[in-house]
Amino acid sequence: MATNRFAKRFDANRVRIAFIALFLLFAWAGMAYRLVQVQVVQAAALADQGLSQRLVARELPPQRGKVFDRNGELLALTVEAQSMYAVPGQVDEPLWVAQQIGGMLGVDSDVLYERLTSDRDFVYLDRQIDAVVAEEILGLEIKGIYAHPESTRIYPAGQVASHVTGFVDIDGNGQEGLEYVYDEQLRGTPGHALFERDLGGRPIPQGISDIVPAVPGADLNTTIDLPLQYQAQQACLDAIEKTDAEACWVVVLEVETGGVLAMTGAPVFDPESRQTLDPACEGSDDPNVCRAFSNFTVRGIYEPGSTQKLITFAAAIEEGEVGVGTVIPDVADVLEVLDGACDSGDSDVYGCYHDFKEHATEDMTVAEIFTRSSNVGSIMIAERVGQERLVSYIEAFGLGSKTGIDYSVEAPGILNFAAGCQTCWASAAIGYSVAATPLQMAAAYAAIGNDGIWMQPHIVSSIVDVDGETEVSGFETRFVVSPGTALLMRELLASVIEKGTGTAAQVDGYRVGGKTGTANKLGDDDRYTEQTRASFVGLAPIDDPKIVVAVLIDSPSREFRTGGASAAPVFAAVMEQALHRLGVSPDVP
Amino acid sequence: MTARPFHQGATEDRLRVLQGRARSRRFVAPWMVVVLIAVIGFLGLIFARTSLDNSAFELAELERSVAEQSALNQQLSLTIARLENPAHIAPLAEELGMVIPVSTNQILVDLSPSGPTVVSVEAREEAQ
Repeated sequence: MATNRFAKRFDANRVRIAFIALFLLFAWAGMAYRLVQVQVVQAAALADQGLSQRLVARELPPQRGKVFDRNGELLALTVEAQSMYAVPGQVDEPLWVAQQIGGMLGVDSDVLYERLTSDRDFVYLDRQIDAVVAEEILGLEIKGIYAHPESTRIYPAGQVASHVTGFVDIDGNGQEGLEYVYDEQLRGTPGHALFERDLGGRPIPQGISDIVPAVPGADLNTTIDLPLQYQAQQACLDAIEKTDAEACWVVVLEVETGGVLAMTGAPVFDPESRQTLDPACEGSDDPNVCRAFSNFTVRGIYEPGSTQKLITFAAAIEEGEVGVGTVIPDVADVLEVLDGACDSGDSDVYGCYHDFKEHATEDMTVAEIFTRSSNVGSIMIAERVGQERLVSYIEAFGLGSKTGIDYSVEAPGILNFAAGCQTCWASAAIGYSVAATPLQMAAAYAAIGNDGIWMQPHIVSSIVDVDGETEVSGFETRFVVSPGTALLMRELLASVIEKGTGTAAQVDGYRVGGKTGTANKLGDDDRYTEQTRASFVGLAPIDDPKIVVAVLIDSPSREFRTGGASAAPVFAAVMEQALHRLGVSPDVP
Repeated sequence: MTARPFHQGATEDRLRVLQGRARSRRFVAPWMVVVLIAVIGFLGLIFARTSLDNSAFELAELERSVAEQSALNQQLSLTIARLENPAHIAPLAEELGMVIPVSTNQILVDLSPSGPTVVSVEAREEAQ
């Protein structure tokens, strides 16, 4: 009987049930504990952790502004491209991969192999490539090769407008030209996006979303006329080929506004690849050899030679020292300003000045001196003006100081009037002892065309941002000479082309005025060489000037060493196209 | 066996049928209404949420499409700009036999009372 009771009390089933119940109790207790821990104790931290895994914060890069010419043609814009990159550790056969995609990317396969075998976690294979090429490469499904979208700057006009637009670096920062000067306006303001994403990386609808859109950069409308810019560049390239010159530069200004219609030259460069297209520069690491990036019209200085005589004569006429018909007696072909200078036999001793061509001593009118570009006669006229007044006119015409053009790193030029210098005034009268940029010379001539009012040259006419279009204004202007003097000077300039040294600058259908300039180049030893800088600056139509063109040919061959031989034909070609482009009516029947 | 007589009359006096109001039973209980409303509300909420999500997906799709079209538009603008580049046009024009005018083609318009006539300078010079 007792055995039965014992058996009943310790029934195996009951024990099992008890264990299971106990287990379930513990399990539930454990789960409850965990639940409380997760839902109460760690709730906030875990929620934050989960959110941080879903939340993505991204900067929204702004679209860089566009650059247009005066007719609305695109000069620069930004488009989406793809940048290929690799995770070297994931690439199984780097040699095969390098050979496979090297040709598609246009990158040397050895270079690619080096990148693919580097010990870095991330290497760029090529940046900002065409989306189609990127897609083709990704289509190969090579492990470890990826792409991400990236903006790239495109210059549809290529080399034609490169000296105006300048360029940006690989990261889109302005480095040169308008891209540099207007970098702040062009780049815009980045936005940001904060949103929840799913496992596939897609934004979760109705999830957390905080998006501040990027503000696109402002667009620039310029005064540049692209077809004229092209014509000017072509004229320069032709001139270099014809005269065997080192370089050629052209500036075209609109007289009434100071707007730059064209500003170009050769050698040229490709703004997208940021590589010079001058064959002479290939393989050269010497920055002095390859200066193609530098816009000489704004940044380069040269001694203007006889083109400077415009200022000398304008000063003399404005000050009433001479008139156009004033006769200057006994104008020889040699003038000794410094005693004994002409006896030394050293052509580099300053103080002995020669005319370009030998001639007998004769009485010459001011008009004749200007038309024949007599150095001796010009110095004799400058003597009447005196150094102090001459310098003030040179400065008023804008030489020796920056014009203020909206372009990067403008050169102010040089006025060399050292204390005690006895010959500087004479040298300056004929365009030595003074160094100017082609732009400064063009602006000085524009002042004569603008009835004696100097106007600050500029490239950008208006800026268009999200708030609308804003005209660029507030350009500096100043009176340089009276309208009467400007009129007389225009007649003198016209006579140079009609019967003087600049006959090659004539343009059919238009009465043109201008002045030739030929200045010897300084060598490395600061002594003048046989090489020259030939220039021509002129206006048209001379009776109501609309356009100024300045041309500089650097180191032409001996046959073309003068401004009349090399620069004047370029001037004629560019001026003719400029007059046509602006629709200026012919004034010569 | 005894039998009691049936007093019919007395029974009739004590018991009678009353015509009272029948007890009415509600067809739907209040808690069921609440549950029903809750269920309908819940389903409505789910439907609205789903519709909203669908709209959001459609919106995202449309935005992606807009971005694609914008990119295409950008590419086309770029293509047009490249084609309009004078450096591209000039060689093509040259191939077609076109030339850049090298001299001014002047046209003189005679506005005399006899009637306007247009004479080119070249023609006039030849006549002279």
